[in-house]
Amino acid sequence: VDPNNFKTCEQSSFCRRSRKIQSSGSKYAIIPGTLNTYADSLTADLINKENHHQFTFKLEALVGSTFRLQIDEKQPLHPRYRVEHALKEEPKTARISVQKETDGEITISTDDHKNKAVIHGDPFRIDFYENDVLVVTANAKNWLYFEHLRQKPADAADGHADGEAGAGNAAADDDQQQAEAPKSPGEAIDDPGAWEENFKSHHDSKPNGPEAVALDFSFPEAEVLFGIPEHADNFVLRSTSGTDPYRLYNLDVFEYIVESKMALYGSVPVLYGHGPRRTAGVYWQNVAETWVDIYTAETNVVSSLVNFVSGSRKSPSPAAHFISESGIVDAFIVLGPKPIDVFKQYAALTGTHPLPQLFSLGYHQSRWNYNDERDVASVSSKFDEYDIPMDTMWLDIEYTDGKRYFTWDKFKFPEPLTMVKNLTELGRHLVVIIDPHVKRDTGYFFHNDCTERGYYVKTRDGNDYEGWCWPGSSSYPDFFNPVVRDYYAGQYALSKFNTVSENTMIWNDMNEPSVFNGPEVTAPKDLVHYGNWEHRDVHNLYGHMHLMGTFDGLEKRDPNQRPFILTRAHFAGSQRYAAIWTGDNTAEWSHLQHSIKMCLTEAVAGFSFCGADVGGFFGNPDSELLERWYQTATFLPFFRGHAHIDTKRREPWLFPERTRLVIRDALLKRYSYLPLWYTSFYELELKNEPVIRPLLTHYPADKECFAIDNQLLVQDRLLVRPVMQQGVSKVDVYFPAIDDKKNGDYWYDVDTYQRQERAGYESVPVTEYKIPVWQRGGSILPKKERQRRASTLMLHDPYTLIVCLDRQGKAEGTLYLDDEKSYDYRQGQYIYVNYEFAHNQLTNRFIGKPKYKSSSWIERVVIAGLSTVPQSATITVNGVSQQLEVLQQDHAVIVRKPGIKMNVDFAIKLNY
Amino acid sequence: GDVPRPRGVSLAMAPLYQPRGGDNSWTCLDGSRTIKFTHINDDYCDCADGSDEPGTSACAKGQFYCINKGHQPMIIPSSRVQDGICDCCDGSDELDARGCPNTCSVLGAAAAAQRRQDAELHKRGTEKRKEMIAQGNKLKLEREARRADLEKRILEQEQLKSEKEQLKLNAEALESEAIDTFKEQQRELDAETAHAEEEPQQMRQEASLSFVRYDANKDGFVEVTELMVDMNLDRDRNGVVTVEEAKYFLDERDRVDLDAFVTLTWPRIKPLKMLAEGLFQPPQAPEEDEHIEATTEGVAIPTTEEQREPQPSEEHADHEPAIDSDEADEEGDEDQYDDEEPDVGVGEAQPDAENASPPVYDPETQRLIEQANEARNAFEEVDRTIREIKQEVKEIDEQSGKDYGLHEEWAVLDGECHAFEDREYIYTLCPFDRASQKPRNGGAETTLGRWDQWIGEGNNKYSTQRYANGAGCWNGPQRSAIIHITCALESRVTAVSEPNRCEYYFEFETPAACDNEAFQQAQDENLHDEL
Repeated sequence: VDPNNFKTCEQSSFCRRSRKIQSSGSKYAIIPGTLNTYADSLTADLINKENHHQFTFKLEALVGSTFRLQIDEKQPLHPRYRVEHALKEEPKTARISVQKETDGEITISTDDHKNKAVIHGDPFRIDFYENDVLVVTANAKNWLYFEHLRQKPADAADGHADGEAGAGNAAADDDQQQAEAPKSPGEAIDDPGAWEENFKSHHDSKPNGPEAVALDFSFPEAEVLFGIPEHADNFVLRSTSGTDPYRLYNLDVFEYIVESKMALYGSVPVLYGHGPRRTAGVYWQNVAETWVDIYTAETNVVSSLVNFVSGSRKSPSPAAHFISESGIVDAFIVLGPKPIDVFKQYAALTGTHPLPQLFSLGYHQSRWNYNDERDVASVSSKFDEYDIPMDTMWLDIEYTDGKRYFTWDKFKFPEPLTMVKNLTELGRHLVVIIDPHVKRDTGYFFHNDCTERGYYVKTRDGNDYEGWCWPGSSSYPDFFNPVVRDYYAGQYALSKFNTVSENTMIWNDMNEPSVFNGPEVTAPKDLVHYGNWEHRDVHNLYGHMHLMGTFDGLEKRDPNQRPFILTRAHFAGSQRYAAIWTGDNTAEWSHLQHSIKMCLTEAVAGFSFCGADVGGFFGNPDSELLERWYQTATFLPFFRGHAHIDTKRREPWLFPERTRLVIRDALLKRYSYLPLWYTSFYELELKNEPVIRPLLTHYPADKECFAIDNQLLVQDRLLVRPVMQQGVSKVDVYFPAIDDKKNGDYWYDVDTYQRQERAGYESVPVTEYKIPVWQRGGSILPKKERQRRASTLMLHDPYTLIVCLDRQGKAEGTLYLDDEKSYDYRQGQYIYVNYEFAHNQLTNRFIGKPKYKSSSWIERVVIAGLSTVPQSATITVNGVSQQLEVLQQDHAVIVRKPGIKMNVDFAIKLNY
Repeated sequence: GDVPRPRGVSLAMAPLYQPRGGDNSWTCLDGSRTIKFTHINDDYCDCADGSDEPGTSACAKGQFYCINKGHQPMIIPSSRVQDGICDCCDGSDELDARGCPNTCSVLGAAAAAQRRQDAELHKRGTEKRKEMIAQGNKLKLEREARRADLEKRILEQEQLKSEKEQLKLNAEALESEAIDTFKEQQRELDAETAHAEEEPQQMRQEASLSFVRYDANKDGFVEVTELMVDMNLDRDRNGVVTVEEAKYFLDERDRVDLDAFVTLTWPRIKPLKMLAEGLFQPPQAPEEDEHIEATTEGVAIPTTEEQREPQPSEEHADHEPAIDSDEADEEGDEDQYDDEEPDVGVGEAQPDAENASPPVYDPETQRLIEQANEARNAFEEVDRTIREIKQEVKEIDEQSGKDYGLHEEWAVLDGECHAFEDREYIYTLCPFDRASQKPRNGGAETTLGRWDQWIGEGNNKYSTQRYANGAGCWNGPQRSAIIHITCALESRVTAVSEPNRCEYYFEFETPAACDNEAFQQAQDENLHDEL
């Protein structure tokens, strides 16, 4: 990427205006006597003591240790944008009571007395307590900054539209300010880009002038901050002192660089502060361009020196300063206290990915582009020839008739339905791309409909906006308009898009939106959307609205089949509709490493269904990089090989035999763990718990592990440390501690069942086939160890249970299963069971009634961690007992063929 | 026959599936474990090699044998047993009879018909191939005869050459003597003599300047590739300067230094330059159309609606604003500069050639000079003849160096060209020479590759050809083409695709690929398997 194609904070008028406050502070206070308390909330008026503009603020308590803080102008010139569609539903409020009210300070607490907020009047500040521990402060640094809407000053019309030149011309600005002095003080904003601004050749007319909002949040209990995807950066956020802030602005970045705070395709403004005792977070609900400054002590040498000299024990609290271009302040403060709590509290607000069809957790084979029907058939059959499982073939933009979505290139794909049928008959699926840009072609029905009915996003002058994208001249449907969404959703009906089947799923790309000739490769900010909102106000939500339409379309197309959608752009809440991938990465080891870092951050921000293009989109991976990439992706939720059109073909059989076998081995491992992935996704929907997790999730007291982002946990059952460096024969693995005495869990190598008993770093040898993965002692997990061509063909296959014992010789773990495809599970058609092992006996306990009729059965039970090998086992079902063989294998024993159906109660006792 | 054996076991393996007397046990085929005989096909994998579950999907490494009576038997991996998909035509891989009808007799009949058809094709094709072999051998003999003849002529001409050389030396000695005498007499005209000496000097300077211009990579040598960009050197006017063409100017070397350039290369290039610059009248009227095509194609100005459309995806994924629709086409970059070089210096070279007035000799000296000139011309003529013959020998050797197969059956294809049209392009394959493509709606031909070698694997060396070093791709490698060859009664290209960017794949069929004997042998092996 050429970073010069994208703005720095200094090149963005609102960012530099808002950041300026960091040196001077601001002066907001509650207007005495305006405070009102209600059953679940509290309101008051705020005043900016410099310009006397008035605001209202509302603090609301929500169910689930969450507060919502909203600040808007009391009487705005015209309404300011409030985000819709990001929240899953209107959050449920919680009752509060006033604990204490003194002069200029009021304390409220929730009825369960767990959470408390102390509102300070002047300067305005709110302290949030979890069980009497201060965990978040809003406006501790006095960086609240709220630009009220104002009339355009007469002389601003010919103002200095200036995006390139920093803070600008001081003398001229002074004159201007003096000229306006008779008006209310501070009315004018002396930034040359306040009323119009240029970037490169692009002009932003900014008809509403300055309207930024900004607020800081401090996390006194935190040692690290993380969150706010999407950035190609470490899991733990780095200080932005001396650098640009992290930027949240959905952009199509060509050949993005890693270790960067630059904006990427998605924006999820949720940020967490974590320390050994407490975790808390803030969801800053704003869909305009947003920058986030990060203050962490670790890089501030001077301040720690000052603290040392002055004898102050504590370094300043880590803090984040959110700066948005427009909208209102709408912040949700989640109070934890543990990491898993904040993730769940956030997910309760914006939702989770619903349980996907099983096939979408299998392996996806994509390329820009599979050229024609013969190519698709040939690749599919090669997977069979080499006995490598594969579930889904993908078609990128070239399948269309000249980039007209919902049409086919009739020469290359004369019979798409036959092609789909041929795949389906092997248990496979097809995914095709549908992008939001619409080719401006009067021979294209979609374009004609949108033109005639006024469905396109408009320019300031009310014309259809024309940008440049894959099809050439393109326009962009205004998905914010429900009528447009309905129209778009209707295109997926099989009566309309009749060249695919109800099993063909959808990939939504380029929905930031990408506009090749637009400012920063996206849409101009002064475009106009439904409801007369500027694109500036809603930019980061455009992709989300596109997804809503697609999801609706697929649900209507086949109401009893769960849709699968992959998206590139995303905002908070988009996880309810689609899986994501990390966009156009590169075939380099550093990008492989960032696939984990990025997906971990996405996962805690709601997007568990995350993956990266295996092998790297740009460039040609050598065999070692490709092997390691497949192995790494084996333990990331979304698993797709994809490549740029200019790259060499890289299907596994095009590499030397060893590479093919290593890849096959990794894919077989992936498929064997599908029951765990599927159960994890069910529990994501059920309990809001991320599927993949950073170590700190379950080891919150172990400071060593906070910043580890080359390892991940799958739920709390697997610890994964993929090999992501070139030419290594061993890797350092960190086994986290459960307390501050370096005690750890037992961990069992999933290949050998060799046990790791100590916490701390361990050097582990690796071969080219090795994916270093351990199962936690104390956990039970389900697998299916029979190989198939595709996951859909495994439906009736038997299960293997892997039981890894903890120090007490106990373990437990769940299994979820259903028809893997339909919504019948929501009518109770499922089996959800918890297996427990204790006192040498494995038993099951169904959660809910096991109503789903499964023909599967338990093929074997593997038990690791027994001190002696039992003679045999006895299985008892309905009072009838039967003897089972016990075999030894590596460091584990296997109970041979219990043969029990999945919906039957049983007990297996080991005999000595 | 129907020997009783566990499901999924072939007739050949049946004897290995017998319980051991006494304890009714059975040992895995890899010897790793001994299990109860009843554990065979009990849907649980006990043997590491999968041998205990030939009839179920329980073992990762297992194999299932379908008898497929009426058609060919088949071995499938255990992963395909009981997966709901009918893999065996007799349906034996799926226990539930619900989905799998027995299609073996239908498929068997079809396969037999196909075999007969293939056999017929190979039989008739082999007849044609025999003709090709005969022709190939005839060509080879002709080549060899021609070569022998040429060798003989070289000897004759060499002898003639030394005779002529002697005559030339004699004449030149006389001439030199006469001129010296004349010069003695003309000593006062020193200035003109000096002027005459300037000419080689000037030639050298001119050559040096050209050397610098050609030596694009400034390594002190002019290489083949550096000459290939100069369309003036396209002697056969086919739109490309081939390696062979370039090498002619380099005296058949890969590269030349300055000295060699001045003495060997420049004298060959200069006439063409002068021709291009209009200093010479071309020997015949240029073929107008072709010439115009050659120059405009290089720039590839889109002319149709289709071409004006942006197709960033087909060019590169540069997400940069792709509004630049007149972006130079990838094919165009190679030669446009030299084509468009303005005709500078048209008038400059002339004075030296025309205005230098030769001295006026006395008649006797003049006669000796003319005699010497005649001797020199006679010598040059012989020398040129030798070079021409040697060039032809070289061409023959080159051709003989090509691998035309074990029996010369491919030789007749050298010199043929076969075209294939798809929606966008006309592809051409000229076996043993080059593969190329040309847009149907006009535009430059692009070389996809030049004959490289046979690359078929194992016994099938002659099933696949590679053409390499084609025109470079925008931002990518040089184009190349793989030709997959099958037996047919006529030679033709049946399909062309581009599975990888800039790597083309041709399907080519020809009787040269028909081998009845090998076909029959393969058939017999298959049939043998069936028993």
